[in-house]
Amino acid sequence: MEILFIFTTIIITIAISIFVKRRSVIEFFSVLTALVVLFESGAIALKVSSVGNYTPFGLFSVDSLAVIILLVISFINLTVAIYSIAYLRQETAKNIIGFTRVRQYFTLLNTFLLAMILAIGANNPILAWISVEATTLSTAFLISFYNKPSAIEGAWKYLIINSVGLLLGFFGTMLYFTAVKFPDESGLIDWQLLLNSASQLNPVVAKIAFVFVLVGYGTKVGLAPMHTWKPDAYSKAPNPIGALLSGALLPIAFMIILKFKRITDAAVGQGFSQHLLIVFGLLSIVIAALIMFNALNYKRLLAYSSIENAGVMALGFGFGGMGALAAILHLIYHSLVKGAMFFSSGNLLLKYSSARIANIKGATNVAPITSTLFIVGFLVVTGVPPFGIFLTKMQILSAGIESYPLISIIALFFTLLVFVGFLKHTLAMFFGEKPKGIEVGENNIWLILPPILLLTSIIILSFYIPSFLSALINDASVIYK
Amino acid sequence: MNQIFLQFLLGIMFLTIVFLHLSKKNFSASIAYGIQSLVIVLFFLNSFFETNNLAILLVVFLMLIVKVILAPLFFIRLIKKNALAFSVSTYLNTPLTIISIAILTFIAHYQKFSPLTSIVPANQDSLSLALSAMFLSLFLIINRKGALSQILGVLSLENSIVAFVIFAGLEQNPALQIGIMFNIGIWILIATIFMSMILKHFGTLNVSSMNNLKG
Repeated sequence: MEILFIFTTIIITIAISIFVKRRSVIEFFSVLTALVVLFESGAIALKVSSVGNYTPFGLFSVDSLAVIILLVISFINLTVAIYSIAYLRQETAKNIIGFTRVRQYFTLLNTFLLAMILAIGANNPILAWISVEATTLSTAFLISFYNKPSAIEGAWKYLIINSVGLLLGFFGTMLYFTAVKFPDESGLIDWQLLLNSASQLNPVVAKIAFVFVLVGYGTKVGLAPMHTWKPDAYSKAPNPIGALLSGALLPIAFMIILKFKRITDAAVGQGFSQHLLIVFGLLSIVIAALIMFNALNYKRLLAYSSIENAGVMALGFGFGGMGALAAILHLIYHSLVKGAMFFSSGNLLLKYSSARIANIKGATNVAPITSTLFIVGFLVVTGVPPFGIFLTKMQILSAGIESYPLISIIALFFTLLVFVGFLKHTLAMFFGEKPKGIEVGENNIWLILPPILLLTSIIILSFYIPSFLSALINDASVIYK
Repeated sequence: MNQIFLQFLLGIMFLTIVFLHLSKKNFSASIAYGIQSLVIVLFFLNSFFETNNLAILLVVFLMLIVKVILAPLFFIRLIKKNALAFSVSTYLNTPLTIISIAILTFIAHYQKFSPLTSIVPANQDSLSLALSAMFLSLFLIINRKGALSQILGVLSLENSIVAFVIFAGLEQNPALQIGIMFNIGIWILIATIFMSMILKHFGTLNVSSMNNLKG
């Protein structure tokens, strides 16, 4: 039972983080847990690719899309665990945080991981909702981690906006239950039962329910116009947490929307949910592109980039067919590259002690490897060939060009604007004369290795996808087309 | 409990949300939330009497402790400790707030929402009232500048949704309801801690004073 092993390991590590007073022990167990989770996730992925859904017990089940996300999260979590140790040690050396904060950090990080895995595998929509809400609760204090007024502000917005969003998502979820006349003996309604009962759903109720679910979980994804918490939270959270929020939490919330989309499609046909996804997707791309151009803070820039990429994924699933396949690939690439970018921006933050773009100059001279990693990340995330995101963006737009030519052209224009805006900031930050007093040289090898690992995997996955992963992606694209 | 009494209780719940809009004092707002939660507890108690399911009684017990007793106590302690007798102002003045309340209540009863309110045709009026309560709770979160009022708005929204779910006959397995209650309990605790942090850093609960994040 791989999943029980995963849960047990994480819970033990949470307990160690709370009760053990030796920093090295907490750090060791966090990395060990991350390794165990990755190893077991790999085992689950192999099982799902060969025999189908993995359902160790009634309340927990992962299909092909869920296991892809589980694998991505596990991998990012491993890099986050490694990076966090070096990152927090540097912050401790600078007297920014003390040991209590470190302990709090690893406790919340592993609680967040546990909640995310529960959300991925929850076989019941209410349990999924409880788990996603738990991710909000576990990350609120990570966003206010530095205990500054701006961090409190970011965390407060995150807490209130996401809680309201999720309550609306909860209401939408309950509306779907009107379809189910005879729940099983346990009284638990699983995803499959909801799907099987979709024909019983009043079409108008199904549409209203999907709107609530899309707005609710779309808030967590960060789709515009529910995105407002995202730049504030991302810019205030410690950088490794930014990597998890963008690379891990976003796909989970998206997956839940897609599960409800399947049910809605079965009740009222594909058109309704597709049109809504296209509208929210395009809006997200346009708003992100316009704001990115004038961004003042590079962590906020990454947040807007996440909003843009969430919009691209929404467009992909909205266009359907080939677009859905490309959207799943896009989801994987985006999660990995955003992790790498949050790590390299964290290195810049340690060097310059500022997240303002105007304060970062000549970074290539100060930290050449970090700068290279960030620049490669920028090229990947904005969709420059030959990286995978270029192909997925093109596939998504070509999937839409026949049925929605105007929307595809507008989306193309604004993704180009994103590139121009990002390029403007990248040139300003990485070239030119470095400010006086900034020490030249990389921080620490452990701050460099995690982003290298992530970028290397994107480059490999841009040209070669292992057969088991390819099978999972194809299967997921058929299910969530 | 008969249906008319349940509808009467729902009416009380609705009025507590209207009161939250009009109240100028944090103490009375906290008490109003406690009364509102007590109504929800009574709804669940009614479910227990109808089903004799002991797990529902556990939900009732947990809800009573978390939402009716602990949450108002947390808020009142914070109010007393920081001398926060009066709530922070609203974006709309009182007459405009009352007009907005009337409009939102009318919208919830409008024919367009009948697919939602006729999920159980016999409870159409109650479902419309629960939907109004949801709209008013959302409006409370938007219209109030105070962090405590926003928290009460979020919690009222949750209560309103639960009321809707009960009258729509969509109650879930008690184990899941306990899970939801656990989440709400943690949420209340975290939100209260955040209120203390806001007070410490900004010297006020007025969220409009939080404007550090730009660009």
